[in-house]
Amino acid sequence: MAGYSAIIVEAKNVDYYYPGEGENASPALSGVNLTVQQGEYVALIGPNGSGKTTLLKLFNALLTPTNGEVLVRGIPTTNEETLPEVRRTCGMIFQNPDNQLVATTVEEDIAFGLENLAISSAEIKRKVKETACLLGLERLLCQPPHLLSGGEKQRVAIAGILVMEPKCILMDEPTAMLDPAGCREVIETVRELNHRQNITVIHVTHFPEEAANADRVIVLNQGQLITSGPPEDILADIPMLHSLRLQGTAAVELAALLRKDGYPLPLKILHKRELVDSLCSLERKS
Amino acid sequence: MFIGTEKLTHTYMPGTPFSTEALQDVSFNFQKGEFALILGPSGSGKSTLIQHLNGLLRPTSGQVIFDGAIVGSNKRELLHLRRRIGLVFQIPEEQFFSESVYDEVAFAPRNLGLDEKVVAERVEEALQKVGMQVNTVKSWHPFRLSAGQKRLVAIAAVLSLKPEVLIFDEPSVGLDPAGKKNIFNLLKDLNQKDGLTIIISTHHLDEAAVLADRVLVLKQGRLVMFGSADYIFAQRKRLNELGLALPQVTEIMHSLVEKGLPVSTEVYTLEQAKSEIKNIKRRN
Amino acid sequence: MSRSITLGQYLPGESLIHRLNPRLKILTLVLILILLFSLERFGALTAYLGFALFLFAVAKVPFRYLLRGLRPILFIALFALIIYFFFSKGGVVLFRIGIFTVESEGVKEGLFIVTRLAALVLFSLLVTLTTTPLSLTHGMSYLLKPLRYLGLPTEEVAMIMSVALRFIPTLMEESQRLMRAQLARGADFETGSIFRKAGNLVPLIVPLFVSAFRRADELALAMEARGYRIGAKRTRMYEDIIFPRDWVVLAFVLALLLISFTMDL
Repeated sequence: MAGYSAIIVEAKNVDYYYPGEGENASPALSGVNLTVQQGEYVALIGPNGSGKTTLLKLFNALLTPTNGEVLVRGIPTTNEETLPEVRRTCGMIFQNPDNQLVATTVEEDIAFGLENLAISSAEIKRKVKETACLLGLERLLCQPPHLLSGGEKQRVAIAGILVMEPKCILMDEPTAMLDPAGCREVIETVRELNHRQNITVIHVTHFPEEAANADRVIVLNQGQLITSGPPEDILADIPMLHSLRLQGTAAVELAALLRKDGYPLPLKILHKRELVDSLCSLERKS
Repeated sequence: MFIGTEKLTHTYMPGTPFSTEALQDVSFNFQKGEFALILGPSGSGKSTLIQHLNGLLRPTSGQVIFDGAIVGSNKRELLHLRRRIGLVFQIPEEQFFSESVYDEVAFAPRNLGLDEKVVAERVEEALQKVGMQVNTVKSWHPFRLSAGQKRLVAIAAVLSLKPEVLIFDEPSVGLDPAGKKNIFNLLKDLNQKDGLTIIISTHHLDEAAVLADRVLVLKQGRLVMFGSADYIFAQRKRLNELGLALPQVTEIMHSLVEKGLPVSTEVYTLEQAKSEIKNIKRRN
Repeated sequence: MSRSITLGQYLPGESLIHRLNPRLKILTLVLILILLFSLERFGALTAYLGFALFLFAVAKVPFRYLLRGLRPILFIALFALIIYFFFSKGGVVLFRIGIFTVESEGVKEGLFIVTRLAALVLFSLLVTLTTTPLSLTHGMSYLLKPLRYLGLPTEEVAMIMSVALRFIPTLMEESQRLMRAQLARGADFETGSIFRKAGNLVPLIVPLFVSAFRRADELALAMEARGYRIGAKRTRMYEDIIFPRDWVVLAFVLALLLISFTMDL
C-alpha cells in the first residue's frame, strides 16, 4: 500500500445539531476531531443513531458543522464557491441503491456527475466508457436501473462517483440491502480501488467482517468519537464493543469465549485464519 | 404434508415479449411446527414463492397445498387462508399508516370483522408476544419508534391475525446487530413456545441457521436443494457456488476440519463452537 | 417482479425510424398532424393512412401493437360513424331503417372522419412506439427551449420529467407490494360502497406517500452529493445531434406535404 502523504479530510472540534430540534436537543455530533490520510481505508462503526451518517454527510458538504470546521483537502466545506470541488473530491455512496440512481439508463446515470460539471459530450462518453470497463459494467450500459440486481446497482453508483475522479469515497452501509454475492461484489470493487488507485475510503458498516479489513476502525457512540485504531486492537476489545451493543468478528468472539475457559490464545486474533492457526498449534502441543 | 407446492410454475406477464418465468416446477413440503428456511440469491424467486403460499399470487400452473387440501381460487377460501397463514413482507414497517401503535396492530383483526372487544384482546396478546405492554405503547406514533421497535410492531400487526403459520421475507434486513438478535429470538420463541410453523426467506444465515429444521434453496426460479438443515448445511461447496454463505462460526469449524482437527461442522453458534472445541481434548 | 412493469409504449428496435432524431421526429409528427386536419379529399387521406401503415412496416412493429393502439379509439370511431350515417344528409338515399334514412354524403363523411382519426392515431403511435420516453422528453424540452425567454425553466422541467420516468417503475412496484402486504393483513380493496372503497385506500395511500417522500429526500441528497445544482450550467452525454439522414427525412416529408397539400386544393 502506498504511504500516506496528505490529509484528505479533517474534522476539527465539530459539533452538529440537526436544525429544528429545539434548544436543549442532544447533538448529533459533539467535539469530533478526526483526520484521514490519502489512501487510507477507514471503517466507521457504532450503534444506530450514533452519528456515523451525519459525519459522512459533513465530509461531502451535504451538511455543514454547527461549531468547528470540516476541511476537504484543506478547503473548508462552508464555502459556496468551492462546493463543486469538495463534492468531486469526496463522492458519496448511500445505503439504498434504488434511491441514488437518477437516470433512466446505466450509462446516463454514470454520466450524471460529469454532466453537472459541464464537461464536453465527447469527454463524458470517453470517461463513462473507461469507468464502465474498469468496473465490469460494459454489458449493462443500456439497461434501466430497475432491472439491475442490488449489487449491480451499487456498482453503478460507485461508477457514477468514480467517473469524477474522486480522492475519497464515502460509503454509508453500502451492503446493508444486498445478498452475500452482492456484498462481495461491492466490497471487492472498493478494495481494488483503494489498493490500485490509492483512493481513500470511509466506510460506515454494521458488519464486523467488513470493518476487520480496514486499515483503521473508528467507533462512534452518541455523537462522540469513542476510540480509533487498527482493527486488531479495536475489534478485539470485546467488552467495549458489547457495552455499545456491537459485535466483533466471529473469530474474535469465539476466541474471547475460549480464553475465558482458559485457552491461552494470543490477543491479536482478528480473522478466521488466525484463530484456526492458533487453535491448531495449541492442539499439536497438547 | 402441511404446507407446500406441487409442480408450481409462475410466469410474469405471460404472452408478452416481457414474459419471465419466476418459478419453474417447484415441489416441496414443510411439516407442521417446523422452522423452515427458503434460501437463494436475490432474484431467485423467493418472494414470488412465499406470496403463493398465502394465495396473494396464483400459480400459472401447478398447485399450492395447505393442511392437506389444494388451495383453490375462490375468494372466500383465499381470505380464510390468509387468516391462517400470516405473511410479513420485507421491511414491514413501510406499510404503517395509522396514528397509533394500537390502530396499526388492530388493523388485521378489524378486517376480520371481529368485535372491538375481541380486537382489543388480540392486540394485547400480539403486542405481548413481541415483548411490548399494550398500555405503555398503544398511543405511541408508529412512525416515531426506533428501527427495532418498528419491526416488532409490524410483526405484532400480523400476529394479531392469530395465524398458524408465519412467513417472513428477510426478517432482519436493515437492522443493527442487536436488533437482528432480538428478531430471531422472537421467531425462536414463536416457533418453540407457541408452536407456530415459521417460514423465512433470507440470504443471511448467521442468525437463522441454528433455528432451521428444513431448508429449501432456489436458484433462478428452480428448486436446487431441499432437505433437513444439517443435510443442506453440510454441502458447503455447493452453497458457496450458489452465492450463499454459511454462518461465520460454521466456516471456522470447516477450516478446523480441513486442518485435521476432529470437530463437527454442524455448529451454528458461538456456544456450540466453544463446546465442540473443548471436546477435542476429551476425544484425544 | 420489476421485469413485469414496462414503461411507456416504447418497443426497442434498430430501424431508420427508431434512429431518427427525436426532436425532428416530433416536429415532423406535428407537421403531419396539421396536414391531416387540413386535408379535404378522401383520396389523399387514404393515401396517408397507407403511408402510415408502410412506416409501421419499415419500423418492424408487429401488427398486434398496431391493433392494440387503435383499440382505445374504437368506441369513438363507431359513435362517429353512427352519427354521420344517420344524421348527415345529402346525396342519394342508400337505405331506410324505420324513420331513419342513410344517405350517401353521410356515409362518405363518416368514413372520412374515421379515416382521419385512424391516421392521426397511427402516426402518433408510430412516434411513441419508436422513441424512448427519455428521448421524447429531451426532444420536447428542446423544442420548448424558446419558452426559456419567457422565464420557463425548461432544463429543470426536463430533469423533473426524466426523474419521474426513472421512478415510475420503482413506485409501481412498490404500490403493488404494498397492496399485497395489506391484503395479507386482511385488507379489502374491492367490496363496499364508493365511500367505503375510498376509505379502504388509506392503508395504501399513506405508506405510498411516506415512502415517495422519503425516496425524494434521499434522491435529492444523492443528486446534490453528485454536484447537481439548480440553475447551474450542465452538459449532456448524448447531445441531440442531427445527422444528414434526419435532414433528408425532413426534406422528404416536407416535399410530400407540399405536394399533397397543393393537390388537395
